Amino acid sequence: MRAFFILWKRELTTYFYSPIAYVMMIFFLIIMGFSFWLLANVLAQGAPGVSVMRELFDSLFFWMTTLTLAPVLTMRLFAEEKRSGTIETLMTAPVSDPAVVLAKYFGALSFYGLIWAPTLVYVVILRMFSPLAAPPDPGPIVCGYLGALLIGAFYLAIGLFCSALTRNQIVAAIVAFALVCVAFFSGFLSFMVREEAARNVAQYVSSLAHMRDFARGVVDTRPVVFHLTGTALMLFATVKVIEARKWK
Amino acid sequence: MSEPMIEVRHLTKRYAGCTAVADVSFTVAPGEVVGFLGPNGAGKTTTLRMLACYLPASEGEARVAGFDVFRHSLEVRRRIGYLPESTPLYPELRVDEYLNYRAQLKGVPGRRRRQRVSEVKELCGLADVGRRIIGQLSKGYRQRVGLADALVHDPELVILDEPTIGLDPNQIRHVRDLIKSLAPRHTVLLSTHILAEVELTCQRVLIIDRGRIVASDTPDKLRARLQGGREVVVEIHAPPPEAAQRLAALPGVARVAADAAGAWTQFRLECSGSEDIRPLVFEAAVQHGWHLRELRQEKQSLEDIFAALTRGEQETP
Repeated sequence: MRAFFILWKRELTTYFYSPIAYVMMIFFLIIMGFSFWLLANVLAQGAPGVSVMRELFDSLFFWMTTLTLAPVLTMRLFAEEKRSGTIETLMTAPVSDPAVVLAKYFGALSFYGLIWAPTLVYVVILRMFSPLAAPPDPGPIVCGYLGALLIGAFYLAIGLFCSALTRNQIVAAIVAFALVCVAFFSGFLSFMVREEAARNVAQYVSSLAHMRDFARGVVDTRPVVFHLTGTALMLFATVKVIEARKWK
Repeated sequence: MSEPMIEVRHLTKRYAGCTAVADVSFTVAPGEVVGFLGPNGAGKTTTLRMLACYLPASEGEARVAGFDVFRHSLEVRRRIGYLPESTPLYPELRVDEYLNYRAQLKGVPGRRRRQRVSEVKELCGLADVGRRIIGQLSKGYRQRVGLADALVHDPELVILDEPTIGLDPNQIRHVRDLIKSLAPRHTVLLSTHILAEVELTCQRVLIIDRGRIVASDTPDKLRARLQGGREVVVEIHAPPPEAAQRLAALPGVARVAADAAGAWTQFRLECSGSEDIRPLVFEAAVQHGWHLRELRQEKQSLEDIFAALTRGEQETP
């Protein structure tokens, strides 16, 4: 536990040493800011029946940023340690393999949370200046953030796993991007296949459908469990990959 | 005798298609400084990595301070300070930040940490560069940061893989003095392919070649052990067959090799005993009226011993 906190703190602070983190933060805020500006425009025209949170959490912009953010935030985690050889000093320190994996994971998740934090300003602005008769419900807002966190948690775990597989950050990022795209687009299968069972499965694993529910303020336990188990599975696989050097 | 600090029994490491370390056994007593000597690719790094719990053994077992490196890996890792060959560091951190982080990670309690970090900085000559960013330091300084990291938690056993590689002569001397000063408080196992290093710093040498230990002794004894096979070179003006016969008849001469060059012949006498046969050779020359141009004993350096033990060595990656 002690080692976990030390490693977690180091992982989180390491983000601020690298320019990638700042670039990603700016990229994220520009896109989310644009998304918010569009939303504000729609509201200003007094369009009726706008689901405010869906504009923020279920938009093209949300998915564009989330799908790129996860691979970029995680690509460095193990790949860089392997490339520079610091994995050797790290793994010969008295720390367990799961502690290292979890510390790296929660470091990335914390940074992901930090990137999202400034968007809370939008919520404040909306509540203060909303032209709608009633200000947006807190329910969908909380659910929207919960959904972003859950999906981010799953995608970051996928990214961490990919980073553990290689010593090349670029390869890690590309493989992670491919995998999160698979996770994301598998939801679209429900529009394409005719098979009833396959459509149902696709519906269950569709991040898109999950996020739509969350943005409406619906918390279904199935997507929650799906993302948490997915995350746990990827973290478990990562621990096994790190341990794998001991099987050779 | 107290419990050995390192106990290695029949340690074997196989990679796909090649055996890096084959059936290696040795022990190291507490407080010893032991040099692990071998040509490149002999299995030094692999053995050290297994001791540092980074790689598992394919066969055999290794214990550090009584703990098995595989089953009680965390206990072992708490007791060792390991400096890998390439001195991996985080280039974005400052020296102080890095040493503090590593001390924390290795469980140095908060109140002692500040003191330990400044102690090892003093010890490794880093007192002036604490605020510098590691990535901007020279190779020599980075090596010292790695060394300071290995020592920061005051480990019982210090494992150093090629600690002086890439340093200039002054820095090498400094590091060697530092290593010598670690004994007997710490046990040190260091690997190197530089013979002089072992002669200067180590109490005992393990020579490893192609994954096998081929010799284990003090540098002096190793030399003495091979002194029996030393050679005397004598160059005389005499007919080779007759002179060779007479020289071979001298007590203590095992074998004679002649190399004629004009009227002069150079004989190499291989000695079996420990006595110096040069006076006998001289007397024989006087007795038979040979002109003597050269008479010397070839002293074997550790280099020769090394070469003899690892002869026929082929470069392996």
